Amino acid sequence: MKLELGKIFIKDIRFAEKTALQDGVLSVSKDDLREVALSEEKIKTVSFDIAKPGESVRITPVKDVIEPRVKVEGRGGVFPGVISGVDTVGSGKTYCLKGMAVVTAGPIVGFQEGVIDMSGPGADYTPFSKTLNLVVLCEPKEGTEAHDYERAVRMVGLKIATHLAELSKELSPDESQTYETLDLLEGMKAYPDLPRVAYVQMLQSQGLLHDTYVYGVDAKKILPTILYPTEDMDGAILSGNCVSACDKNPTYVHENNPVIEELFKQHGKTINFVAHVITNENVYLADKERSSNQTAKLCKMLHLDGVVVSEEGFGNPDTDLIMNCKKIEAEGIKTVLITDEYAGRDGKSQSLADADKAADALVTAGNANQVVVLPKLDKLIGTLDYITKIAGANADTLREDGSLEVELQVITGATSEVGFNKLSAR
Amino acid sequence: MAKIKVVHYINQFFAQVGGEEQADYPIEIRKGEHLGPGLAFQQAFGDEAEIVATIICGDGFFSEHIDDAKAKLLEMVKGEKPDIFIAGPAFNAGRYGFACATAAMAVQEELHIPVLTGMYIENPGVEMAKDKVYIVSTKNSAAGMRDAVKKMAPLALKLAKGEKIGASVEEGYIPQGQRVNFFEKERGAERAVKMLLAKLNGKPFTTEYPMPSFDRVEPNPAVKDMAHATVALVTSGGIVPKGNPDHIESSNASKYGEYDITGVNDLTADTYETAHGGYDPSYANQDADRVLPVDVLRDLEKEHVIGKLYNKFYTTVGNGTAVASAKAFAEEIGKKLKEDHVDAVILTST
Amino acid sequence: MNSFQIITNNPSLEGELSHRYPEAPIDVSFRKLSFRSVLTAVRDEIHGGAKLLSHPLSGSVKPLETPYKSVLIERRDGADLDLDSLSLIENAIQACDKFIEQDRIHIPELQKDFQLVDRSLILTAVDSLLSDF
Repeated sequence: MKLELGKIFIKDIRFAEKTALQDGVLSVSKDDLREVALSEEKIKTVSFDIAKPGESVRITPVKDVIEPRVKVEGRGGVFPGVISGVDTVGSGKTYCLKGMAVVTAGPIVGFQEGVIDMSGPGADYTPFSKTLNLVVLCEPKEGTEAHDYERAVRMVGLKIATHLAELSKELSPDESQTYETLDLLEGMKAYPDLPRVAYVQMLQSQGLLHDTYVYGVDAKKILPTILYPTEDMDGAILSGNCVSACDKNPTYVHENNPVIEELFKQHGKTINFVAHVITNENVYLADKERSSNQTAKLCKMLHLDGVVVSEEGFGNPDTDLIMNCKKIEAEGIKTVLITDEYAGRDGKSQSLADADKAADALVTAGNANQVVVLPKLDKLIGTLDYITKIAGANADTLREDGSLEVELQVITGATSEVGFNKLSAR
Repeated sequence: MAKIKVVHYINQFFAQVGGEEQADYPIEIRKGEHLGPGLAFQQAFGDEAEIVATIICGDGFFSEHIDDAKAKLLEMVKGEKPDIFIAGPAFNAGRYGFACATAAMAVQEELHIPVLTGMYIENPGVEMAKDKVYIVSTKNSAAGMRDAVKKMAPLALKLAKGEKIGASVEEGYIPQGQRVNFFEKERGAERAVKMLLAKLNGKPFTTEYPMPSFDRVEPNPAVKDMAHATVALVTSGGIVPKGNPDHIESSNASKYGEYDITGVNDLTADTYETAHGGYDPSYANQDADRVLPVDVLRDLEKEHVIGKLYNKFYTTVGNGTAVASAKAFAEEIGKKLKEDHVDAVILTST
Repeated sequence: MNSFQIITNNPSLEGELSHRYPEAPIDVSFRKLSFRSVLTAVRDEIHGGAKLLSHPLSGSVKPLETPYKSVLIERRDGADLDLDSLSLIENAIQACDKFIEQDRIHIPELQKDFQLVDRSLILTAVDSLLSDF
């Protein structure tokens, strides 16, 4: 399977009468986007704002971050099973609007987290301080249940991103990159001497506000399966996850999965990047046994030499991580794990809720309990009403000088467990 | 800005006073001097800092007169009002490591002056002090002096200036059992792929989060017939015949004792005591059965719950004792117990 | 006889469960306990022979950042101690202790949402259990 990813670099976003994309400048009409957003019947009102890198702006409470993408050639459409039909994606040509993101915000639950600072120390931790952000704030109609509100905001984000990406369909990309995965037999013939490597991605799937969708299917209901790595680039996996801002994978991170990118860099040179294996992190223990058994079985079937395994979340998924590691290593396949840590504010507690000596190669994205002070910024998009109610905050969080003292876990994407960032810990 | 003032602590050997024969060399201060490793430190500091005094003490003197040595050391350091106190580096020298760790902890705790020392990871001083003071990780012999100074000098300056100290991997100190965040040069995904390549190719790699220690021993199957079993007592709680005839050290023990308890039914305050320096000894000294339960085992013997209590017990002091020493003791003790057909051992600690 | 039980301090669970699964052979044992005490109550059940069926650290809302916890177990009369269950619950209790209790768990208007998230997570375990029948 072969995908050409055309990148259109966005230099600026501004509000205008008409939605258009020209010379890298994205003009958006609020009325136009409002119409898209209000097609979701649970949404009462929607408002828009723009936040740029370096500005003294804080966005909160953030729900999801999405990179606009559109299919221009080949089968299917972006966000299959949700926005497009269920055709298999990952081939042909896809355009993406680089350097920007659609950020959805809104208090899905009363303790909704997710802070993006566009400047100051907080900006160092979130990857979304480096993107031009079109912020979409959605308020629900009276009496809307949390799960309906979550779904509505998720859909608004995807629809707006798709709407904007459509603008690029007739343009020619500034840069193109082609990713190709051969089928199993051809791959084996092409790279007979290279170690066979796959990416095992664990998807958050514990329930309401903790869900991930694969081709529109709730990930807790899947058996582990195999994707071509390019399917993810077309939005085959997307986030329905609203809690644990620091280590949940926003849709943007799925579209730009860094493990897939790094494995492709080595593909054909030092490794044969064979496949993308996805599995889940259910609450029910027998599901964990079943999923980790199947994951190890798939790795064996693919005749792999090594895998990178990434986790999503804390506690419950630590058990899946260790089960996957043990069972895959038991097949004689080498593993490297990516996780983050909850080592307590002083860094002195056990970082993970499970451990095993098979987990001898681990990359950490940092201690999410570390306390950071975020200075007051000039402009707020969203509301601080929830800030004292988010994880790692307390009554003293909002300090007199307007600064916030919080744990890293409230910052969107700060301790990405797919290794999106440079943050680490020792 | 005024020069940073440094006080440096070294042993008799590095001060070129002499070797083991001078181990009882009493503590002294040489003001305005830098000697041995101090030369290298002074060079590395350049104009930024100055070693204003060097304190010298024999390793034997320090450990045998610990209270006296500590008090004098604190007095000497206090008099110089340094911005930083550096001890060693001690590499893998056990007693020197003990002295450096003790001195550094005392200065930090009592005088609130920043401190720094350096040791090889297996030096028993590391276990004693790594959670409390910064210990730069060094090679296992003085051949690593150049490298040690290269890491210690900049860290010492940072500490003296009260600057933020980075993660262990950045600064070169031994992890303190405390996770510290920092920014790597490459993103996590790239580090993971590189680590996997190393693992696939059998090349060395270092995990970023070592799993909690798994130095576990699989337990033996249960003893089936306790009524005919010979049971031995072994302790790291330091119980010894009164007077500590073999002079087992109160910390960082270099030996263990073997004592006959034939006919002994009860350990009393007149006959037994503890040599351990790491806990309040009063309860153990009142009644050593509290640590080494000879009395209870004699009862069990009478009640035929166990066959018999082995006629010797083995004892050492676990306080700051190197894992390597403990392993060596255990190997010898285990061999003797096996030769004497002991069926089960009760290990007591404190 | 073996039976299924949810040990919970979430007052909203029982109603929702009987509404959604009127026939489910699952007993809800509601207890007015703290988050941590629910875990220790589960630990006590495990020492009595029960087996864990759901992960005690379910949810990304961390211990002491929510007041509610529900855990699904199988009670097994006269059964031996299940070591896997014991290790999971002990690790969970240890993990609980590294978090700082947050003021927000006492805020009245948040209780409904905390209950909702906890309830939804444990119901996914119930779904899985019932699909095993």
